[in-house]
Amino acid sequence: MNPFEKIFNYQIISRLDDAGAFMATAHERAWLKTVLAHPAASQAFTAGTLAKLESLLEPDEAIDAHPHLIEKARSREKQVYHPLLGRIRRLILNRHGIRLSYSVRGDRIFSDQLGVPYKLEYSMVKREWYLLWHRVRHHTLMKTKLDKILFITGADISHERVDRMLERTRLTLESRKTEVLIEIIPLYNRELSRILYAFSCFEKEVAYDADRKLYTVKVCLPGEEIEYLLSKLRFLGKRVRVLEGDYVKKRMVEASTKALERYGVLEANEEV
Amino acid sequence: MAKESFDKEIQFLRMLVLTSGAYNRQQFAKRLGISVNTFDKTLRRLKDIVHATYQQLPEEQGKEFAEAIRYRYDDSADPMLLFLFRAKSLKESESRRLSLVLAALNGRSMTASELLDCCMADLPADLSLPDEKTIRKDLKYLEEVGVIQKENGARPFKYRIRNELIHELTDEELLDLYDFVDVMANTQIPSVQGYLLRDGLKKHLVRGGAEKEAVEPFLYKYHYHSRILDEAHLFTILNAILGRRKMKFLYFSPKSDKSYASQNTNPLFERESNGKLETTLPLKVVYDHQYGRWYVLGHGREGIRKYRMEGMTQVETGEPVAQAWFEEKQAELMDRIRYSWLIDTGRPVTVRARFFSPGGSEPDFIKERVLLQGQWGEIVEESENSFIYEITVNGTQEIKPWLRSFGSSCEVQEPVQLRRELIAEWKEIRAYYESV
Repeated sequence: MNPFEKIFNYQIISRLDDAGAFMATAHERAWLKTVLAHPAASQAFTAGTLAKLESLLEPDEAIDAHPHLIEKARSREKQVYHPLLGRIRRLILNRHGIRLSYSVRGDRIFSDQLGVPYKLEYSMVKREWYLLWHRVRHHTLMKTKLDKILFITGADISHERVDRMLERTRLTLESRKTEVLIEIIPLYNRELSRILYAFSCFEKEVAYDADRKLYTVKVCLPGEEIEYLLSKLRFLGKRVRVLEGDYVKKRMVEASTKALERYGVLEANEEV
Repeated sequence: MAKESFDKEIQFLRMLVLTSGAYNRQQFAKRLGISVNTFDKTLRRLKDIVHATYQQLPEEQGKEFAEAIRYRYDDSADPMLLFLFRAKSLKESESRRLSLVLAALNGRSMTASELLDCCMADLPADLSLPDEKTIRKDLKYLEEVGVIQKENGARPFKYRIRNELIHELTDEELLDLYDFVDVMANTQIPSVQGYLLRDGLKKHLVRGGAEKEAVEPFLYKYHYHSRILDEAHLFTILNAILGRRKMKFLYFSPKSDKSYASQNTNPLFERESNGKLETTLPLKVVYDHQYGRWYVLGHGREGIRKYRMEGMTQVETGEPVAQAWFEEKQAELMDRIRYSWLIDTGRPVTVRARFFSPGGSEPDFIKERVLLQGQWGEIVEESENSFIYEITVNGTQEIKPWLRSFGSSCEVQEPVQLRRELIAEWKEIRAYYESV
């Protein structure tokens, strides 16, 4: 299977789009046939649709990659699909409001909350689905695990109001972005590729000072995601140092101090 | 025509994605081992493709290319880098003809001579018009890649386009299919073919009146989006493994400064290449979720060999080896990597670490994470505020960053050497911030 087949050429694709034609190659169908064997397929489709797809793909061959493809350091795949995805994605598609009930930590339940859904987010780290929505009361942005949703249904909110709230959401999200400037300690420039790979999952900008052979990475992320950046920084250890971002710096001091206390090499109250 | 290689484009894009604008033209070209002239040409070509593929890209706003293909959270489901796989160059006349044939078949089934008539009628006069032989060659190609198929057994054959996915499914089913393809392409590997299918389905939905934004309700956090660049070589390598064939390639260790060198077809740009010609028998491909990187593990003269896929260029497949010998080598490898956190084949050692729960009313996210990411390790002891995790791994280098990422919630007990290393590292890290 050559992923550079001329049939995938960009001019062909854009002309076909202009002509309103759809095509699928044997490569794509083989891939689809392979993933349909995943347990997630039975949650994604009704039994009838699944049977229909399987029969359509009957003449095609599946991709036989996995016997020779090993995945390492992968999180346990506890959830790929969620039964609510189809329903909620349609509410988003049709710009509907929602009413939902959900439980939070412990057993507290919030019932019949009015809101506007805007995205469904999958965490590659936790391997779980979340609903991102705007709660009408107090205008708060919410992130609710799909597993915690007890009940959800469409609600009557006008398209205009939904659009206003979506715009408001967009602005709020934009305003919550924060920047952290990180230096790659030049001693570890030989590991540059690895270090940059570790940062490649963030929105970032890299700068290079040729005279000092110094690389800096400016990571831009929503405030609530700082914990994940911190775990990456601890992951990279002494290869990187935070230059700007007071909260992140403070947390790095805290982590190193507390870790040393754990190891019993630092008195608990020693000044930093 | 020699087989078109995308090594240069792949290396180019990888560097662009990883360093996103850190280098100027000269620095960039030097690190790729190409001339500034080649750099400019490659950039121009990639820009053209991106522009044609994603028409919404505002070229006139003078956005930098790196900026344009930069990873964004709110676009995480739509991989910008996919355009690489659209880069196969094609003569204008051929791309016109192929799309015309497919568009014609989209309406109804047709024979080769009917299609020839279509081309005669619709191709612009300034392009050389095809003859029936050319059309038959095109049809054969389209049949090979599975886009069309012969409809009947008798001559003259009628061809039909294979678009049953959209014709046999209802609108609701099609939306479910699109979602499924989106989720699977984004969470499973390999994914390039899935992304291509997703792209086709998305265009179809948008043509049907759905709004682009609304079609894409999914986000994926945090994703190593550059992983799809390496899928360029993946199937060549997997096929070599399936066929038990050796591979030859020019290898650039990611630790060296240069990551690509031109193939020296033009003496003007001739440079000393510092890649190394390697021959190996590939046995397994490993994808490392920790960094989003790919490896090839093989057998060479010195025994087990490990290569980063991103360093492999000019990959060629060679002679097959005997099955028994191949299986023996593969079994040996599997035995050696059984305890590899990633790919380390060093001596197995047991790591024992105490993890501390966050306490209070918080859910125990430390334990959740250890259970989720701790691979084959086990919790062997548990108390109210902490638990002990044990794992046998080959060497401690690869697991160390993961343990360290828990910060003060993890205390390594054994081996003592690893414990000492972590103490030294925490001291160093703390010293970085002494003035804070």
